[in-house]
Amino acid sequence: MINIPCPFCGPRNESEFSFGGPVKPDRPDPNSVTDEQWVEYLTTVPNPLGAVQERWWHVRGCGTWLTIWRDTRTHDIVKGPNDA
Amino acid sequence: MMLNRLSTGGRIDRSKPLKFKFNGKTYTGFSGDTLASALIANGVSLTARSFKYHRPRGIVGAGVEEPSTLVELLGGDASGNRPATTVPLTEGLAARSVNCWPSPNFDLGGLTQVATRFLPAGFYYKTFKWPNWHVFEPTIRKAAGLATAPSCPPTTGHFENRYAHTNLLVAGAGPAGLMAALTAARAGKRVMLVDEGIEPGGSLLSTSQSIGSLPALDWVAEVVDELADNPNVTHMQNATVWGYREHNYLMVHERSPKNPSVIERNWRIRAGHVITATGGIERTMVFGNNERPGIMLASAAQTYVNRYAACPGRNAVIFTNNNSAYSVAADLIAAGVKIAAIVDSRATVPIEAETLTTQTTIYAGSVVTTTLGHKHIRAAIIEPINGGEACTIPCDLLAHSGGWNPTVHLFSQSRGTLKYDKIYATFRPDQPHQSTTYAGGFTLAEALLSGTEATAVALNISAQDIPVTANVPYAIEPLWRVENSKGKAFLDIQNDVTVDDVHLAIREGYSNIEHVKRYTTGGMGIDQGKTGNMNIIGAVALQQGVPMDEIGTTTFRAPYTPISFGAIGGLREESVVLPYRHTPLTDWNHTEGAFMYEAGARWRRPGYFPHAGEDFQTAVNRECRAVREKVGVYDGSPLGKFELKGLDVDRFLDHIYTNIMSTLKPGQCRYGLMLSDDGLIADDGVVMRLSEHRWIVSTSTGHADAMNGHMEELLQTQFPDWNVFLTTVTSQWNNATVCGPNAREVLQALGTDIDLSPKTFPFMSFRDGKVAGIPARIVRVSFTGELSFEVNVAPRDLRSLWDKILAAGAPFGIMPVGSEASHVLRVEKGFLSLGHEVDGPVDAHDLGMGWALSKKKPDYLGKHAVNLRRAGTANRRELVGVLPEPDCMIPEGAPLTPNGQKTTTEGFVTACVWSVVHNRWIGLALLKNGHSRHGETAHVRLKDGVIIPLKITAPVHYDPQGEKLRS
Amino acid sequence: MSYDVTTDRLPTFAIFDFKGTRKTLEKWTKFTLPDAPNRFIVNTGVILCHIGPDHWLLRAPLDREETLESQLKPTNAPADISIVRISDTQTFFSITGPNAAEVISIGCPMDLHETVFPQNSVSFSEFFTVKALIMRIPLGFEVAVEQSYANMIADYLDRATA
Repeated sequence: MINIPCPFCGPRNESEFSFGGPVKPDRPDPNSVTDEQWVEYLTTVPNPLGAVQERWWHVRGCGTWLTIWRDTRTHDIVKGPNDA
Repeated sequence: MMLNRLSTGGRIDRSKPLKFKFNGKTYTGFSGDTLASALIANGVSLTARSFKYHRPRGIVGAGVEEPSTLVELLGGDASGNRPATTVPLTEGLAARSVNCWPSPNFDLGGLTQVATRFLPAGFYYKTFKWPNWHVFEPTIRKAAGLATAPSCPPTTGHFENRYAHTNLLVAGAGPAGLMAALTAARAGKRVMLVDEGIEPGGSLLSTSQSIGSLPALDWVAEVVDELADNPNVTHMQNATVWGYREHNYLMVHERSPKNPSVIERNWRIRAGHVITATGGIERTMVFGNNERPGIMLASAAQTYVNRYAACPGRNAVIFTNNNSAYSVAADLIAAGVKIAAIVDSRATVPIEAETLTTQTTIYAGSVVTTTLGHKHIRAAIIEPINGGEACTIPCDLLAHSGGWNPTVHLFSQSRGTLKYDKIYATFRPDQPHQSTTYAGGFTLAEALLSGTEATAVALNISAQDIPVTANVPYAIEPLWRVENSKGKAFLDIQNDVTVDDVHLAIREGYSNIEHVKRYTTGGMGIDQGKTGNMNIIGAVALQQGVPMDEIGTTTFRAPYTPISFGAIGGLREESVVLPYRHTPLTDWNHTEGAFMYEAGARWRRPGYFPHAGEDFQTAVNRECRAVREKVGVYDGSPLGKFELKGLDVDRFLDHIYTNIMSTLKPGQCRYGLMLSDDGLIADDGVVMRLSEHRWIVSTSTGHADAMNGHMEELLQTQFPDWNVFLTTVTSQWNNATVCGPNAREVLQALGTDIDLSPKTFPFMSFRDGKVAGIPARIVRVSFTGELSFEVNVAPRDLRSLWDKILAAGAPFGIMPVGSEASHVLRVEKGFLSLGHEVDGPVDAHDLGMGWALSKKKPDYLGKHAVNLRRAGTANRRELVGVLPEPDCMIPEGAPLTPNGQKTTTEGFVTACVWSVVHNRWIGLALLKNGHSRHGETAHVRLKDGVIIPLKITAPVHYDPQGEKLRS
Repeated sequence: MSYDVTTDRLPTFAIFDFKGTRKTLEKWTKFTLPDAPNRFIVNTGVILCHIGPDHWLLRAPLDREETLESQLKPTNAPADISIVRISDTQTFFSITGPNAAEVISIGCPMDLHETVFPQNSVSFSEFFTVKALIMRIPLGFEVAVEQSYANMIADYLDRATA
C-alpha cells in the first residue's frame, strides 16, 4: 500500500488511485511510421528492474493523472534520471 | 487446589478466582493468569504431544514464542491452535490439547515413536509424491491433528478495520518503547504505542528490577498514566503490530478494543517514523531430549514465578551459556525453588553473574547431554564440554538459556538489513531501509537510553533523562548445540526437527538456509521458529564450517504472530461483502418480487419480474411478448453518461470513436464504437450533441468507469492542451425506457409538450421538455428493436415518473421488463452485446459493423491496428445468426466444429434464446467466414460427442430493415 | 450504539460542477472561488469547494437550485468552461458527535487530523471503497457518495455503529 504524492492533494493511499502503467513514448502519427514502428509503440512497455516512470490516476480523489518514478525492487518513490 | 501456586506475589488478582476446563478436567486459576500459568500453578505439566512423533510435551515458554503447547478453545470463543501461553484465563474457559487423542497423557499417536527411524526430515517429500500428494494429504493432516476451524462466527459483536496516521508508531511497551513514546509525547507529537501483552511493561513484567527509586512496574504505571492524559497519544495493549509494509504502512491487530461491540480490530497505520522496541526472545539450548515436560526456557521459569506466582518445579537444574540465567536462578531461589545445579558451558563464569546466586553448585565448562523421564523430566545427565565423566542430577525442572535474540521481525519486514554480532552472538538490526529504528538493549539501562535517543534523533526533538538502574551485563559464549548429546536433540520443537534432520538436509544438498527451512520444516510452525531458528543457523554454520553471517537468516514475513480472519475482514460480511449500487427503483423492484442480478459495475438490476407461479422462461416470454406486441418499460438508469464541454470536444470525439461525431447537429444522436489503440472493441454507446460545445457521451453500464478513465487519461496525458472538460452525469440522468408498438400512445397519455410525431422527432434524436409535468429529455434510441422512448429525468423524479408510466400504460398492456427479456430482444435484432459477441480479436467488420468505421478520418484510435490485424489474418470469425435444427436450446459458448467432428473449433455460439416472435430457439454465433456461409449448416459439438446442426443466417432474426424502431 | 456518534442521510443539495480557469469561472459565475487546494469557503449560504485542478463544486440548499441555475446559465456558459448541474449525483451523510473521527476513519484512509485537515477542509477520497467527498464541519464530517452507492454506505454506517 504505497503512499502516492498527488500534486494537488498531497500524499495519499494507493487505494485512492488506479494504476496507469509505465510511461510509454508519445504516440506517433500512425500514418507517418512503419508498421513495425507502430506495433512497437503499441506493444513495447518499459519494464526495468529499478526505477520506472509510471502513471497513476487519482480516481478516488481529485481526478488528476500524475507521473512518478518508482523503484520496482522496493516501491520507493525516487527521483528520475532527469530530475534536478 | 493449586499445588504450585506461590502464596504471595505475581500480577494475578487473587480476589478473582476463575474456573476453567482443560482436556475435560476442571481447574481453578486467577484473573491475570494465562491458561499456561494456571496449568503450571495446578501442577499440570504434560500438556501436549508433538506434531510428528507424538512425544510427550509440556510448556516451554511464557509468551508468543511458545513452540509446544497449542490448544483448541471450545464454546463461544472457539478458535484453534492457540499457544496456551497467549490465552488469557477467563471464567468458564474450555480448552483441549491439539494433536493428541484421546489426551496428552494417553495418546494413540504416540505409537509413531516406534517408527521414528523411518520418519526423518524430507519424509513427506520423498514418500508421498506418487501418484499425487493430494491423495495422502487428508490422512496426514488428520494424523497431524491440528485444530479445525470454528463452525460459525461469533454470534454477538462485529469485527472492524480502521485507518490511522501518526507521527510516531512505537511497537512494544517495554522500557525502550515506553521511553520512546514518552519522549515523543512530551514534544507534542502524535504517538501510537502498541504492545502485544495484556499489560504494559514488556520484560519488566517478568523480572524483579527497579527503575530509579521505584519498582519497575510502578515506573511503568507512572509513564502509562502520563501518556493516558495526553490527547495526542493512542496506547493499545493486547494489540500486535503484525506487518510492516512499504512507505511505513503497518498493520496492528487489536484484540481488546474499548468499544464493547467490536470483537477485534485491524488497524492500517501510516507512520511518519517507527520505533521497533520489540525486545528479545530467548533461544533454547540444543541437547538430547531437550523437550520433555518440565524443560522450559529460563526466562519462562522466571516469568512464571515472578509474574504469575506459579512454580514450575521444586528442584531445578539450569543450563546456560550466558549471564541472564543467573538472574533467573536468583528469582527461583527467592520463590523457594531449590537449584540442584547451574550448568554453564563457559569455562569461566563471569563474576557479575556468579555473585547473583551464592551457595549454588555451578558446573562450569559443562553441558547437559541428555535428560531422563518420559512424561516428565526426572534427571539431567551432565558432562564436561570436552568429554569426560558424566553425572546424573535428579530434577523436576530444567530451565535453559541458549542466549537472546533481539526481535527483529518488523525491522526486517521493513527491508532493514541484519548483521551478525560476534560479541552478542546474534543477528542485530543494521541498516534501516525506511524511516524506522530498532530500540532496545541487552540491559535495562541500554533499553531505556536507546528508546529516548532513537526517538530524539528520528523526530529531531530532545531526549529525556534516564532514571538510574542496576544492570547485570550480558555476556555469552554461543553454543549452537551440544556435540556429544544423546537422543534426539530438537532444534524446532513445534515441528519435531532435530539436529540430525538438518544434517540430512545438508547431505542431500539443501544447504542454503531457505532450503534447510523448507526441507526440514524447521521454523515453519505457528511459532515461526522464534526459539529455534538461530540454533538452526548455528547448526548449519557449524556443519558447513562457515561463519554465521554467511548463512544468514530466512526472510521474515508478516504476520509476526497469527491474526484472526475476522479482524482482516472487518465489516465486510453479509450484504457488504461486495459493493452494490441501486437505482431509485430498487425498492419497487423488491416489492414487485423481481429476481435481482448484479449487472456490471456493481449495479443491482432486475432480471425478470415473475408473476405468482411463473417459472423463468414463462416470465421472460411474457415480458418479451409485451414489448413486441404492446408496450414495456425498463429502468435504463445505470448506463454510463458523461457531459463533455469545451472548444475541442468535437475533435476529441472524432479521435476516440470510429465514426465521425463532429458532424452531429444539436438534438441529434449517433451510435458509435470506441476501439483501443491496438484495434479491439473497447465499448459502444450513443453520443448526443446538446449544443456546439456541449455533448453527452453514453457508455455501456459495465464499462462506464473504465471509459471515464480512458477519456481522462487521453485528455490529461496525450492532449493536455485541448480544451475538453468531462463531468460524470451517470446518476444525474436516470431513465425509464418505454418501448413497443404502443409506446407513443403511452407517452401521449402521460402528457408532454414534446412533439412526438416521427417527422419532427425522428429516430436517433432527442428533445427536452416535460413529461407528465416532470422536466425530461426524451431520447429516441432502441436496444430492443421496437419504437422506443428513453425518458430521462433527474433521479429525484424517477419513481414518480415510473408510477405515472405504469398507470398511463395500463390500458395499453404495459409491463415492467427485466434484463433477461432485454437480452432476448437484442438477440432477435442482432444488436451487439459486449460481453457476448466481442470476444478477443473480433473487430467491427467481423460483426458486420464496418459501416461504423469511418473511411474519411485519416486517424482515430484503433484504426491503423484494425487494418494491420486484418492484413495478417484470413478466415476470420464473423457474426452470423443460427437456428438449431432440430429446434433446441444451445448453451452459450458452445463450440462449433466442422461437421461436429472432434477437431479444431471454427467458432462458438454467443447467445441462444427462446423467441416468442418465431416460437423457437434462435441464436447468434461467431463462425469462420460466416458472412459467406448464410444458408449453410454449421455444427455444435457438445460434451460426450453430442452434435447439433445449425442453419446459418444473417445475424438478425426480426425486422431486418429496422422499420419498427424508426416508426 | 457503541460509538457516541450520530449518522444521518441528508436531503438532496443543489450542486453545480465548475471546470475551467478560475478567472473565467469567476467572471461568468460572479462567485469568488477558493484558491487553496482542498478547501472551501462559504458565501451567503453557498459553499464553494476547490477539489481538483481547475475544478470547483458549488453547494447550496435545494430550494436555491432553480435560482442558481438561472444565474449560472450552464447552457449559455462560455465555450471554454464547463458548468453542470449534478445535484442528484451525490448523496450526503453527516457523521457528528464525540466519536465522529473514529467512525469516519473506519471507512476513509485519509489523514483527517485537525492539523492536516482543519476546518474548511474538503477533499475527494474514498469511503468504504467508493469515491467520496469528505468535508469537515464543526461537529464532525459530511461525506458525499455517488447516489447509487448511498444504500451501501448507509448499510456500512449501520454496521460500523452497531
